[in-house]
Amino acid sequence: MDAVYDWITSTPISGFVLGYAWAWPTLESLHFIGLCFLIGALLIMDLRLIGFQRVIPLRAVHSLMPVAIVAFAVNLVTGVLFVFGDPHLYFVNPAFQLKMLFVLLAGLNFLLYYVKVEPKLATLGPNDATPPLAKAVGVASLAFWFLVLSYGRLLPYLGTGGG
Amino acid sequence: MGFFLWLEQTWLAEWVRSSTTGYPTMITSHAIGMAVMVGLAVLLALRVLGVFRELPLPALQRYLGLAWAGFGLNFLSGVGLFVAQATMYVTDATFLIKIALVFLGAAATGALQGQLAKEGGATNPAPSGGMRATAALSIVFWIGAIITGRLIAYV
Repeated sequence: MDAVYDWITSTPISGFVLGYAWAWPTLESLHFIGLCFLIGALLIMDLRLIGFQRVIPLRAVHSLMPVAIVAFAVNLVTGVLFVFGDPHLYFVNPAFQLKMLFVLLAGLNFLLYYVKVEPKLATLGPNDATPPLAKAVGVASLAFWFLVLSYGRLLPYLGTGGG
Repeated sequence: MGFFLWLEQTWLAEWVRSSTTGYPTMITSHAIGMAVMVGLAVLLALRVLGVFRELPLPALQRYLGLAWAGFGLNFLSGVGLFVAQATMYVTDATFLIKIALVFLGAAATGALQGQLAKEGGATNPAPSGGMRATAALSIVFWIGAIITGRLIAYV
């Protein structure tokens, strides 16, 4: 593990994140703005998938998918930069480990949506009820992402990581 | 200052400051409430400005109740965080700017909600110049509130 830390802290990326006073607060601001867009888009899409707001056509809520994907990309990039800036804080921190577990589960859940649910939605009318699997995937998505947000916020307060 | 000193002596302030669970509970609730309110409010504002035209405006309006519930959670947890260190926050210029932006953001989203309600739920109303201006301002206020909120720890 020490070799990983040494490599990370020797990279120019790590030097950039730590080398400028404005870098960390700027990355944090972007990470927070990204999470707002991600949660906002997911709430609208997943609640419709679960069966709320059936007056909204399924295809219409789907137009928010690019928002969720771009927001996640912003948070992935800024998140990786945080880890490069202070690897000792993150890897050994139980909140960070749980956060990454739920990111992974959310990703697998999205894969399930993409492979099993989305093709079925195409056969539904605009305001039809969604199948049980779609509802389950929607509930899981919201649960996983709110856990990602919560463990991310708890990161400085849980565990033994130096800070 | 006496009032803010008194706030810091309340059981709520004591709990947030000193217990294991107080501060983490408040800071996590604050972030969840922010994500729900700002996420939904900014997406609605972008739709008014002409982004995601496939999404009917009345559909997005239906999520505003949830957005305000998020704001309630954000506000209540914000009160908890504030009283814990009231005398510090009340003299912190970055915090005061952030609070001003939060209330301006809430006012702008509320105003936009009122303007949309007057449209009477037309499926695809063409937003007026006034609505567009309110929408654009709401985005500026909310994003500004997030950035200044982050900066409190640094400035």
